[in-house]
Amino acid sequence: MRDIVAKEFPGYDADGIAGSSRRGFLKLMSASMALAGLTLTGCRRWPQEKLAPFSSNPAGWEAGVTENYATVWEFGGVGQGLLVKSFDGRPIKIEGNPSHPFAVVSSGKYGASTLHAQATLLDTYDPVRNTGILQRGSKAGAGTWDDFIEGIRAAIAANPAGFAVLSEATASPSVLDMRERLTKAFPQVKWYEYEAVSRDNELEGSRLAFGQSLRSRLYLNKAAVVVCLDADILCDHPASLRYSSDWAVKRRSADDGQMSRVYAIESTFSNTGSVADVRLGATPDRVEAVARAIAAGLGVAGAQAEQLSAAEESFVKAAIADLQKAGAAGVVTVGYQASPTTHAVAHAINAKIGATGNTITFHADPAGDRPTHMKAIADLATAMNAGQVATLLIIGGNPAFDAPADVNFAMGLGKVGFSAHLSQYDDETSRLCKWHLPRAHYLECWGDARGWDGTASIAQPLIEPLFGGKSVIEALALITNDQVKDGEQIVRRTWKQSLATELDWRKALERGTIENSASPVVETAVKAISYPTIVAQPAGTFVIRIDANPSIYDGRFANNGWLQETPDPMTKLVWDNAASISIRDARAMGIEQGDMIKIETPTGQTMEIAAFLMPGQPLGVLTTTIGYGRGEAAGPVGEELGFNTYAIVTTGAPSIINGAKVSKIGKTYTLVTTQEHHILEGIADDAERVRLGAVPGQSGTIIRDAFFSEFKSNKKIFPRDKALPLQLYDSPRVLNNTHAWGMSIDMSACTGCGACQIACQAENNIPIVGKTESVRHREMNWIRIDRYFKGDAANDDVAIVHQVMMCQQCENAPCEQVCPVGATVHDSEGLNTMVYNRCIGTRYCQNNCPYKVRRFNYFDFHHKDPREKWGRPWPGLPDTQQLDIDKVKRLVYNPDVTVRMRGVMEKCTYCVQRIHGATIKKRAEGSDVKDGDILTACQQACATEAIVFGNYNEADSQVSKLRENRRSYPVLQDLNTRPRTRYLAKLRNPSDDAVAPAPEEA
Amino acid sequence: MFPRWANYLLPGIIIAVVGGALYVPLLFGFGGSAKTLAVGYQPIQPVPYSHALHAGKLGIDCRYCHYTVERAAFAAIPPTQVCMNCHTNIKTESEKLKPIRDSWISGKPVTWTKVHDLPDYVYFNHSAHVNHGVGCVTCHGRIDQMEVVQQAKPLSMSWCLECHREPEKFIRPKDQITNMDYKPAGDQIAIGLELKQKYGIHDAIYMQSCYTCHR
Repeated sequence: MRDIVAKEFPGYDADGIAGSSRRGFLKLMSASMALAGLTLTGCRRWPQEKLAPFSSNPAGWEAGVTENYATVWEFGGVGQGLLVKSFDGRPIKIEGNPSHPFAVVSSGKYGASTLHAQATLLDTYDPVRNTGILQRGSKAGAGTWDDFIEGIRAAIAANPAGFAVLSEATASPSVLDMRERLTKAFPQVKWYEYEAVSRDNELEGSRLAFGQSLRSRLYLNKAAVVVCLDADILCDHPASLRYSSDWAVKRRSADDGQMSRVYAIESTFSNTGSVADVRLGATPDRVEAVARAIAAGLGVAGAQAEQLSAAEESFVKAAIADLQKAGAAGVVTVGYQASPTTHAVAHAINAKIGATGNTITFHADPAGDRPTHMKAIADLATAMNAGQVATLLIIGGNPAFDAPADVNFAMGLGKVGFSAHLSQYDDETSRLCKWHLPRAHYLECWGDARGWDGTASIAQPLIEPLFGGKSVIEALALITNDQVKDGEQIVRRTWKQSLATELDWRKALERGTIENSASPVVETAVKAISYPTIVAQPAGTFVIRIDANPSIYDGRFANNGWLQETPDPMTKLVWDNAASISIRDARAMGIEQGDMIKIETPTGQTMEIAAFLMPGQPLGVLTTTIGYGRGEAAGPVGEELGFNTYAIVTTGAPSIINGAKVSKIGKTYTLVTTQEHHILEGIADDAERVRLGAVPGQSGTIIRDAFFSEFKSNKKIFPRDKALPLQLYDSPRVLNNTHAWGMSIDMSACTGCGACQIACQAENNIPIVGKTESVRHREMNWIRIDRYFKGDAANDDVAIVHQVMMCQQCENAPCEQVCPVGATVHDSEGLNTMVYNRCIGTRYCQNNCPYKVRRFNYFDFHHKDPREKWGRPWPGLPDTQQLDIDKVKRLVYNPDVTVRMRGVMEKCTYCVQRIHGATIKKRAEGSDVKDGDILTACQQACATEAIVFGNYNEADSQVSKLRENRRSYPVLQDLNTRPRTRYLAKLRNPSDDAVAPAPEEA
Repeated sequence: MFPRWANYLLPGIIIAVVGGALYVPLLFGFGGSAKTLAVGYQPIQPVPYSHALHAGKLGIDCRYCHYTVERAAFAAIPPTQVCMNCHTNIKTESEKLKPIRDSWISGKPVTWTKVHDLPDYVYFNHSAHVNHGVGCVTCHGRIDQMEVVQQAKPLSMSWCLECHREPEKFIRPKDQITNMDYKPAGDQIAIGLELKQKYGIHDAIYMQSCYTCHR
């Protein structure tokens, strides 16, 4: 019996329950009976709570009141302006900073944020970070900062020429200042910069076109025609918030009779491609050919017309016509994987049509001219392997994992006498270094960063370093023995000139940006470009395209469960990466979903990876993402997941590998894609046409979809809501409060990026469930983004609709009809309330919900590792369950939302805590909430303002106006659920005279 | 055949059965009710602070110490500094005040035990109540007469709902919020209804909605 218990309940003391003696068992039983008796007869109060007021209150602090602080997070060398909410000294939610030009939404109402920025909050409270200083090979294993400083100074003194620093990409003025000071202290130091996801091709392209490294900045709010050449500007770009917000302005203007047109030719299926009006899948060499053909057609000097296929020909013709018509209101943009020549060609086209200075401007790269990341890492690895590096300090990054396969970085690192890695985790690189130095999280330290256009911001700490780490500038100050060692003082010193007075400094901190700090616009003419012959893809081979992972990026977020469980926006994969292959290629090779395939590159690298059949993926291209396949060093959440794509990355082909061989190896792998998990009623075979509309431009009851040309001419293209004469349920009772909460979601503006999902997770204390539970459809996210294909999937001729789906707050809610205990009922403001303490977990409501938005907590996902089958066999006393949650992890919870435990149904509440928080505050002041006072978490994260929340009883609220919009409709209207959440139909603008098949309705 | 006392057996058995059947639910019902369990809860505090002296005899307003009550969900427990505002001059040598002085010198908090402790799934907000005419005494009792603070009301859901259903029975003008001795000048119901209108208090349906207190 003990064996069975041990197997069934791992981690549980089997002797405790299956003890050897009958007496022991009785003792245990009587103890629990006594405890139960005590609880019921009430001699036991719930755990006593203590109150510890400050000895003396900090200025401006009020107990239990949240405060927002502006700060900045540097990600891949680009700062993202943030506003962090702090509760009693701990950061609990990250939002975008509305004062930051690259975070504020177009209407100016709030600041948006990316899903990565949102998720960094979880890293702050990751207990795995708690490593201390590790000195490998020493007797103690641990060390102190003093030991380290002594050691590195001695090592540099012994061989001053052998000192090198490898840094992650940074444009932080303070770090650059400290770098200068380091160079002064150690004149022979060599500084290398490496980033696995590198935008160096952009810089190379601008060098070809302008002779200098320039960043381009788009103004999509002025762009009537956008041509994207392999460019995912709306999601996978450091300025994606600004770009998608501006892009949405020109989409939403469809209601006023104007809509931009987006062309996309791409070697993968990206988010930008999924919302483009005209999209063509092509191999990277064809993308360049099309770029040149467009240039030739527009009369760019030197450009030659290329041989094109019929599809490419019509794409190019249409794009040329539109760009000519748009003139300065057109723009061509290129993705970072595309060749430098393609970038240069795009610059030439923009100059030719007059877009430069209007829809696109150029700014100096804040990091200045530097060798490319690939060259830097190759040089360093060569020097290390040649024994020329005696002392190496690695700042951030994880080169032992993410350096290209052909530079032998790990081997070289072994030859370095004194190596140290300053990083948040004891990762692959740290384990190969002699020293691991704990790095403070950005929410724990002072710093600064520059945004995409160079706008500078100061980072201020929200919390003391939880695990005693130091920031980059503090570590460098120790090494150089700077007279200023405190992080704040170092940053103040850097900004002494421009923030001369204390008032200036405080203003900059409050605002989160430093005024007039953006890099000035560089006006420069395009030089003559040379056009090397495009090497065509050898027949019978594949192009391997390697992208940053939308969730865990280059692998740095591997231990972040929120991101791991956020589905890839296109494949909807969680907890894994895979190789996307087109349906036709897969069919030709006999590959099924989840089949393992082997990739062999021409340079001799090989890897095995699971195949994911992706409709719309270009023929002959396999798209995969980096960051997965990490070992135990990734931490308990991220270890042993997915496949290591760095194995095939080389310095010569960092993101596009031509001429690779792909073969099936006869094994299969379980991939979890969440799209089919919560499938709405009747999206199958015949019903699909009725529910979704079969082709783009055709409407169904879930998706309304139309071409812009038709939307303009036909005022009755979308039928108005109709009251159904026959009703299954009683009419809803009168909801006569002054507030009638509702929401509007614009499917024309949604890019499917997924920021709303993480925002919801952080705001509402939603647990993660892990891969094995995800397989069983048990993920807990309250909000999801449904990705529907329309068209002919078998022939890869598909278009996509992204539909954000969460509780629709039906007035006539089917879930309420079936709950046996009244745990879900309506309040008078129209919210469908979920009462956790009444819920007994029958899950009837979940079954009866036509939108599939209710989530059930099966296994106490908060307090136990989701991979353990059972935490422990009993649920614990109701009021002590939460006390089992790790003390550090607990700090991330939002105190305004109940932490639900197992056996309870939960769902979107329209962020009722935010509604009440704002309402109580306003009513205490004697007024009432007005439109815009309440932002739901998903709304506040959304850069495109696709989500609008408000009061239907306020006549001029934005949501009321949107309800009167011609595009507004409720999903599954025929069920008569009367949802409070309404959607705005998807519009596409492929050409001026596109006509859709007649919409069909059930 | 049966002895005479057997005549009493049947009623005896009935009484025993009915009594037994009633005993258990009554035991749990009354024994487990908040009135029995929670009222009178009086934990020992680190400092024998007397509300009877400070709030009662000296007449210090509640909001002098619990200063966030009108603005925040949480009515602040005063920082040591508030005590020291007076006690740097008064009773500076008192043995009872030693923990306060220690806290002031060391900067470490005085750790009080929470008396009015609601379950975690109740999101009670002080500002929402005191700004709409619910007096301190209504929930906390005669604090001004308590040497050691104890819980005076059950703070159970049914008790909360008594007021949420009919607030007119309990509310008072805002300027009387901290008055422990408030007597309505006239008919409470009439005054209550008038104030309900004046303060824009939500209707009973809203006030009884689950989301009003639970999230």
